[in-house]
Amino acid sequence: MTGPRVDLSSEQMGRDLVALVLTVVELLRQLMERQAIRRVEQGDLNEEQVEEIGTTLMLLDQRMKELCEQHGVRPEDLNLDLGPLGTLLPRD
Amino acid sequence: MTTQHSDSRAASARPDEGVTYVFAVCRSTRATSAWNVTGVTGMPGGEAVRLLSSDLLTAVVQTVPGSDFTDTVWQRRLADRDEIERYARAHHSVVSAVAAHTAVVPLPLATLYHDDTRARQVLDHESDRFHAALKRIAHHAEWGVKVYEPSTPEPSQAHGESVLQPDGGRGAPAPGAGLAYLNRKRGVQVQREKRREQALAVADSVDAELRGLAAASRRLRTHGAALSGDQRVHVLNATYLVADGRADQVRLLVETLEERTGARIELSGPWVPYSFVGEA
Repeated sequence: MTGPRVDLSSEQMGRDLVALVLTVVELLRQLMERQAIRRVEQGDLNEEQVEEIGTTLMLLDQRMKELCEQHGVRPEDLNLDLGPLGTLLPRD
Repeated sequence: MTTQHSDSRAASARPDEGVTYVFAVCRSTRATSAWNVTGVTGMPGGEAVRLLSSDLLTAVVQTVPGSDFTDTVWQRRLADRDEIERYARAHHSVVSAVAAHTAVVPLPLATLYHDDTRARQVLDHESDRFHAALKRIAHHAEWGVKVYEPSTPEPSQAHGESVLQPDGGRGAPAPGAGLAYLNRKRGVQVQREKRREQALAVADSVDAELRGLAAASRRLRTHGAALSGDQRVHVLNATYLVADGRADQVRLLVETLEERTGARIELSGPWVPYSFVGEA
């Protein structure tokens, strides 16, 4: 209700859609990362598995950064303000 | 925005006529009836600000064009930051001008009644509530306190990317890179949680100490960085109703707390106690 007015130009909408998709992917990636860290902490993964998961997450992280750059989306654009619930992703 | 007791802002029944905008309510005394409010500017587009008295209470009111204060117009206004600021400032300046003379119950922005008769009816009908609020805030002021987490240098970014290969990571990553990545991320996570806990502990202790001086307090939602555009993490947004005689103690306490906790604490006030005129 009090948000800025919606800009309905198609270019802007395309960018917003990309940002939204990237937001969802980044959220999933961070959730997987946390889950992985938790499992490492619990010690129920062997070294090889840890290495493999770590590498996969690292490459995903890298790929996300590239995608953001390509589409001119800043990392902080992916963090939605959920009002009283805070932000979608943790802020460093 | 509206209060339970205000008429629907609609006024749509008679959009071309004036409606009664109420800024604040105070006790009717001989002094109030002698006030000169002609110098006070009210809402943009309205007539002169004036006093509307019932038996025991006096309201500071203004006749404003109904067509300029319909729901639709307000919705649009709320979406425009400059515009809403203009109206909020106009509202606040009238409230402050009256509050300089006596204890007042400030009403929320855009409290409108159909006409003077209706506004006077509400004064009579809600007089208990107004008197209770006046009693609570007499000789008290509101002080706002915002606490920000002490800023820390960026720990993770500097060496965060160094592990990535120069070829963009398309080739096989160096052995151990995966483990190193997870460990680094875990470190960042632990740091973040620790900082967050410390910040919340600071917020709680600041709040507890200030509550010791205040007659009442309210914790409000902390605001994100997006709105204010600053990057500091806001950990406490609270407001306190403080007796006038204790204002210096509050200022001193905030200074002491700032030194002790290392957090940035912003104190603002004294304000007309907007936050403490609702239900007790």
